[in-house]
Amino acid sequence: MTEARDTPSLDELTAALGELRVRSLAMGGPERVDRQHSKDKLTARERLDLLFDADTFVEFGLLAHQHSMTGAPTEPDRTPADGVVTGEGLVDGRRVYCAAYDFTVMAGSMGMVGEQKVARLRRKSMLNRLPMIWLLDSAGARIQEAAGSTFAGSGALFFEQVQMSGVVPQVAAMLGPCAAGTAYIPGLADFVPMVKGTSSMSLGGARLVKAATGEETTDHEMGGSQVHCYISGVGDLEVDDDRSCIAAVRDFLSFMPSNNRETAPRRPTSDPRDRRIEDLAQLVPTNPRAAYDMRKVVKRIADDGNVFEIKPTFARNVITALVRLDGQSAGVVASQPMIKGGALDIDAADKAARFIWLCDAFNIPLVFLQDVPGFIVGTEVEKQGIIRHGAKMLFAVSEATVPKVTVVLRKAYGAGYYVMCGRGYEPDTLVAWPTAEISVMGPEGAVDIIFTKQIAAAEDPAAARAEYAAAVRQTIDPLIAASWAMVDDIIDPADTRRVIIDALEGAVTKRQRRAWRKHGVPPV
Amino acid sequence: MTEVKAELVGNLWKIVVEVGQTVDEDDTLMILESMKMEIPITSPIAGTVTQILVAEGEVVQEGQTVATVD
Repeated sequence: MTEARDTPSLDELTAALGELRVRSLAMGGPERVDRQHSKDKLTARERLDLLFDADTFVEFGLLAHQHSMTGAPTEPDRTPADGVVTGEGLVDGRRVYCAAYDFTVMAGSMGMVGEQKVARLRRKSMLNRLPMIWLLDSAGARIQEAAGSTFAGSGALFFEQVQMSGVVPQVAAMLGPCAAGTAYIPGLADFVPMVKGTSSMSLGGARLVKAATGEETTDHEMGGSQVHCYISGVGDLEVDDDRSCIAAVRDFLSFMPSNNRETAPRRPTSDPRDRRIEDLAQLVPTNPRAAYDMRKVVKRIADDGNVFEIKPTFARNVITALVRLDGQSAGVVASQPMIKGGALDIDAADKAARFIWLCDAFNIPLVFLQDVPGFIVGTEVEKQGIIRHGAKMLFAVSEATVPKVTVVLRKAYGAGYYVMCGRGYEPDTLVAWPTAEISVMGPEGAVDIIFTKQIAAAEDPAAARAEYAAAVRQTIDPLIAASWAMVDDIIDPADTRRVIIDALEGAVTKRQRRAWRKHGVPPV
Repeated sequence: MTEVKAELVGNLWKIVVEVGQTVDEDDTLMILESMKMEIPITSPIAGTVTQILVAEGEVVQEGQTVATVD
């Protein structure tokens, strides 16, 4: 008979495991959690509670902690989960993966073990074709672990993100710093909300910038939402706090399918599909010089007035927004006459092109609302590369094979008409309001080019110019375009919602396959 | 009291309301001129115009409070 070995019982083992779990769930400890709260920030775990439907989060890698391949000192007890909480759960009943960086553990720095956990999530995201969410609040790479030429083996995260692009939705929510190369995580993501005041991103953090160039700045000054949501366009939405940031992530996902092979979920609505919008005509003045707020038009057309604007504070001369129309997700690209008269510049072209690619990748139909006097011209915009940026928008709208509907409200001048899905760009339906002005340019601009000599030779050049302008104006009339069947119909503005919904439904079986190519060569 | 702010830089072309006037939400209070366009500044709420803080011909900055409505 062998003597019983002195081994712990299963109860003892599970009790010890329970203690370890409790310690790990406490993150960086009460003091650091307090410090996080004192900065008006929630902890990684509080954020996850807000993101996921109640009791659906399943964590992977809770028991992980820091290790070092190089034999450098590590702090296993101080690095629960190695600074990043990873797992899966349900958002509105649909599964997504999430990596939440924990600032209370070594400032959320990206260590080797933590990054293996996130890599595992990315793999799951692709294997199961489900969205990937990052909640970023991280000082960047953990230099103690990363310095040295084993760096040669790193970097696959961005490669993988590129492979994921257009297959699964990717969201990078900015809830704190995101310094150095890791700023490419939001750079490659589909939706990047930023919390005002606390979040920042930059390719080099302030300390690195000081060391490299001598420039004195702060992470916030250089890369806060006031820069990225207004000037650079890297941020998609500025939000007031962590709570509204997570709410925005949930909202964004509600418009998206889980992957590029699915259609977006429908959200039933009591808003009648044929609801007439009696005040639309009052909202849009017939005087082409009078501006109006196109956001109000979009709001009236959308189901229940519910509009989710992407980049609302960047390139405001064009509006890009997710809405629902009779329950169906749709992307709206609309001119904004309030800003620059609705004329397109490089930032507007970038913003629209990127949004069109997003919608097309995820089977979200597109609605174009045109009141566009064209592209801004002149020496300044040429130096900025308006041609290649404008060409990018041409590329995006031409590539898009989702159902496309175009409504011309007023101006549709020149290349503005093209990039906003004019007749040549495969709209499934193209309609105009009675106020539409489809033309290569406005009458005033046209007379100066066509009748230069005649005006100069006239006794009264001003009167001649006015006369010629009136003559040109006669030729700008949607009835002419309709008489040539170049627009499908001229509609009562009050019927705009119904016409768009009917058109989208009519194109629901649309299948468009272009000639095989490895890929086009888009201008950037 | 709600502050009405200009959404963009422009030349204040016309003020179309007076202090004490009752306005509805979305009613035009004044009109800016920029990029050859007439751009309305509208009331965010229904109420009474309590202050007009700018004059016709003035250049208005983005974010500048131009009026208050109560």
